[in-house]
Amino acid sequence: MMGNIKDRYAIVGVGESKRSRKSGTTPLHLALDAARAAIEDAGLKATDIDGFMNYNENDSCTSHQLATYLGVRPKYVKDIQGGGASTEMLIADAVSLIESGMLTTVLIYRSMNGSSGTRVGRGYDPDMLQGALSGGSFVIPYGSASPSQWFGMYATRHMHETGITKEHLGHVCLSFYEHAQRNPNAFLHGKPLTMEEYLATPDISSPFNIHDSCLELDEGNAIIVTSEEKAKDCTSRPVYIMGMSARQCHPHTHYWNDIDQVASDYVAQEVYENAGVTPEDIDVASIYDCFSWVVLRQLEAYGFAKRGEVGEFVAQGNLKIGGKLPTNTAGGMLSEGYTHGMNNALEIVRQLRHDYKGTDRQVEDCKIGICTGWAGPDIAGAMILRN
Amino acid sequence: MKHVTTAYQKPIPLKDHDNKPYWDAADKHQLALQKCDDCQSYAQPPGPSCAKCGSQHVSWENFGDDIKATVYSYVVSHRPFLPGFQDELPTIIALAQLDDVPEVKIMGNILHCEEKDVEIGLPIQMTWVDITEDRALPQWIPVTN
Repeated sequence: MMGNIKDRYAIVGVGESKRSRKSGTTPLHLALDAARAAIEDAGLKATDIDGFMNYNENDSCTSHQLATYLGVRPKYVKDIQGGGASTEMLIADAVSLIESGMLTTVLIYRSMNGSSGTRVGRGYDPDMLQGALSGGSFVIPYGSASPSQWFGMYATRHMHETGITKEHLGHVCLSFYEHAQRNPNAFLHGKPLTMEEYLATPDISSPFNIHDSCLELDEGNAIIVTSEEKAKDCTSRPVYIMGMSARQCHPHTHYWNDIDQVASDYVAQEVYENAGVTPEDIDVASIYDCFSWVVLRQLEAYGFAKRGEVGEFVAQGNLKIGGKLPTNTAGGMLSEGYTHGMNNALEIVRQLRHDYKGTDRQVEDCKIGICTGWAGPDIAGAMILRN
Repeated sequence: MKHVTTAYQKPIPLKDHDNKPYWDAADKHQLALQKCDDCQSYAQPPGPSCAKCGSQHVSWENFGDDIKATVYSYVVSHRPFLPGFQDELPTIIALAQLDDVPEVKIMGNILHCEEKDVEIGLPIQMTWVDITEDRALPQWIPVTN
């Protein structure tokens, strides 16, 4: 039972590298920039960190390399293959290792040349994909190799059943793009989006156009987790972990046949139970947004709006700062940056620390936030944090 | 002997230990589905054991060549993400819900169908396209009365 760790662990440092279409450097350099920024943010020394972890798609540096070039000989390193639900899972792993007494402070990072290097869903050998994807031979021969095509299949059905429209997808995009205009570090800062422009943009894979799809960028992000006691040694304001649901799965390893359920449906109950809160208690959210529709489906899964009422919920502006559930307040993966979700985790920490106090970026007096991960319909995780 | 004039560029379904009966049947222009002998559920895609109950007792059932379905969901794809699709855009990728076994949904392209005509619930039927001398790919076409 996860309840016994409630409020006993904290995120004490966050940092990122520059984000660009072409970093001109290696993922190791980006990881070092992100890690140094997070360590400085926490007010720690690199040698205070004894565990390093990362998730990757064979497109990054190793945790051992990162630690080495920070001048640290770590006790523990772990590199996993992963994506959109890995931030929450690795934080849970870090908490477990600290709880066991093995480690004291863990740095978790994701660093990738996601634009100039390996791009998701492109350039793979089709025969490799058939083997690598569970049930891949039933999908790849039909031209379906991009996440936009897989999630589009879910979205089309869900929109048909619930009355969500293309315009509702647009409201998700517009809300996050609006946040990006307030964030000078957002990749699409200075590029606002109107509904007219959105609706006039042709689809890549229906129902998604380029605005519905996350950015692809070169970027590194880092996050530092430690115990409540150790957090007192840090100069940052700790953000406490109230509860987690590290990883939940869809009933099938392949999701080609059952496109109605998503793993987030199973996460919601556990994460709220562990944190001891309900959706009404959440002040600010970071919701995984590889595609606009994924946000809508999660709003339903996590109980922020009833099935069938999610479209109206976003059309009313509730995802915007000032709305009922300010979400992806730095612009999200649709318009800020893209590290398979970690940039959204960084933002919720900054919101809960009130880093933006006195500016139009701060969700005023926010106390409790949720951060959701989505590795696809098949795997999801989430955490609830407080200040 | 069949003659294939131009080389097929698209990915060809790879047969493996678990899916071979499906693709062998497809090559003969038939549909075969894996079924659990214990919980009686059909599996698509097939696997090494039943994904519903874990039973190792699975067998194959042949459904012949008259396969009717309706569109459960679909995507209209305007960009080729794999070789061979660049000349056939947009591509309609659909999930077909079988009339006789509604729990089974099979992905495929809908051929001879305009983008504007595809919708959830559209009646379709399975057809087989000979893609090489010895391989055939199950596809879907709208039911015409």
